[in-house]
Amino acid sequence: MQKVIERILNLLAYLLTVERPVTADEIRNTVAGYDRDNDSAFHRTFERDKDLLRRLGIPIEREATDVFEVEFGYVVHDDDYALQDPDLTDEERTALSLAVQAVGFGGRPAGQEALMKLGGVVGSLEGTQLGADLGERADMVADVFNAVSERRLLTFDYRGTTRTVRPYGLVHRRGHWYLVGSGDSVDSTRVYRLDRATALELGNRRDVFDPPVDLDPADEVLHHPWDAGDGADIATVVFDQEVAWIAERELGSRAAISHRSDGSIKAEIEIAAPPAFLGWLVGFEEHAELTAPPELRTRFISYVEGVR
Amino acid sequence: MTTSPRTTGRISRLLAMLPWVIGNPGCSVDEVCERFGYTQSDLIKDLNTVFVCGLPGYGPGDLMDASFDDDEIVIEMADYFSRPLRLTAPEALGILASGKAVQSAGSGGDALDRAILKLERTLLPEGTESVVVDIPEPQLVGELRIAVLEGRVMQIDHTSIASGTAKIRDIEPWAVFTTLGNWYVSAFCRNANAKRVFRIDRIRTAARTGDRFTPSPTSGDATIRYTPGDDDVHVTIRLSGEATWVAGYYPVDVVDDGPDAMTIQMSVGDAAVAARLLIRLGSNAAVLEGSEAANATADLRSRILEVYSQDT
Repeated sequence: MQKVIERILNLLAYLLTVERPVTADEIRNTVAGYDRDNDSAFHRTFERDKDLLRRLGIPIEREATDVFEVEFGYVVHDDDYALQDPDLTDEERTALSLAVQAVGFGGRPAGQEALMKLGGVVGSLEGTQLGADLGERADMVADVFNAVSERRLLTFDYRGTTRTVRPYGLVHRRGHWYLVGSGDSVDSTRVYRLDRATALELGNRRDVFDPPVDLDPADEVLHHPWDAGDGADIATVVFDQEVAWIAERELGSRAAISHRSDGSIKAEIEIAAPPAFLGWLVGFEEHAELTAPPELRTRFISYVEGVR
Repeated sequence: MTTSPRTTGRISRLLAMLPWVIGNPGCSVDEVCERFGYTQSDLIKDLNTVFVCGLPGYGPGDLMDASFDDDEIVIEMADYFSRPLRLTAPEALGILASGKAVQSAGSGGDALDRAILKLERTLLPEGTESVVVDIPEPQLVGELRIAVLEGRVMQIDHTSIASGTAKIRDIEPWAVFTTLGNWYVSAFCRNANAKRVFRIDRIRTAARTGDRFTPSPTSGDATIRYTPGDDDVHVTIRLSGEATWVAGYYPVDVVDDGPDAMTIQMSVGDAAVAARLLIRLGSNAAVLEGSEAANATADLRSRILEVYSQDT
């Protein structure tokens, strides 16, 4: 292991100072620690080292060594290598350390390597009590994050169709990650649930779009599943005293609620997507009654009877 | 073959430690150990590696210079390692989303707010907030968190999601956590004499009993898992049309995956869970086996329809 670490530090020191693309042969003959006799051993080792450095975030590019583009070599551009230092104070580092310890992706902490690069962990990590998990698919969310931050196009399969989207924002809400973006025209901004997207690919070019100035991704992602749709019904539901407090908490401030003397509540709820709403209502079993509008009431009865 | 995780981890830490020590000459061994999670001997091993590495030629003027005596560390001749490495996308997302989650739950402070602003300025394009983490904290989370910290026994009025029944319980809260959009408290339940996890939005009230307990260091397991039990209800369902989403959403075994329909087996702790799901699926689901779930569904259906049997 000691030899590997020395060789990799030597390789990186060379790449960071040479300031031009250098061929694999030059590296082999210049950097200490590479095998000069056995070709295949050298190539295996060199590939492994490059791979390791790239995983750590070091942008090793392959570029032509001169204008004739006959020979190719490797180069690390300083601007892409170095962190744009946010200049954190130790107090701010401590706050981030606590946050990183409290939050995870799929049960694993995320951001510890970032903390190291930002100047390490400061202060005691005792006493934090928040435990938040942001989901299993950290790698995929990170790809979308990358596309949002570098303004690259994203292509993915979604509900059986391949889409190319300009990613404007990334929102975690109600336990899911959502992408806010638009297809060909800015007017078509919509929301995609990331766990339903597959075959995600990032575009090759950076800075290919500007997000609409008045778009706030947080506003695009809905608070209730029945907010997504074109309908505009107001449903009236009476929740009995046993479940009234649950309904009130779940509806939040987005429904008009009146309290009645027997402890029940009457809620007027805006519905854009009736099926999602009816499914939610089933969860209250016989403790809720949809009283209006009559068509929606009839539809709920059919729904419970199993007719679709 | 790839490089071992241990080697990768060592290089990763070295490349984080070097810029900081170069930028803070004369820093103490203890401070570097604390910041970067080193033991003293591991740090000395890495410093010993540093001064045998450097630029081609590898003579005295080419190698990096690392000196440490008593308590001070100085690294010189290593300007090329003086700038910290940029963050990879998973690292940047991890730290920013973690910060924002804590901020959104209302557990941060001014320092966290400032740190997040600084990170956003360097990691994301200018303009509106393009990464949002929304995990609002329900009532009672704060009170339960204090109970965890102080070892207070709490009396809760909790309605089970599965059965829909309310029950008063005395619990010793171990940990408060959120996952998949819901908040939970894991606790030792004195009524059940066993570990239980409760959804906090289904706790109507929580009051201190006045009793204290001694928290165990291993008890704070912030996970929810489905653990099969002897009383589980098993049901085999044939899903058609749009109902196949169930297979991706619930922990089920897919028995048969045909072009038009899919057959799944699921186990639930309470038949009421299956009943609510089956009513939501309507004619897109048919129970092939599992009379308990089928009966619970018929029962739930008639209880709901009874409510609608009178005109409003």
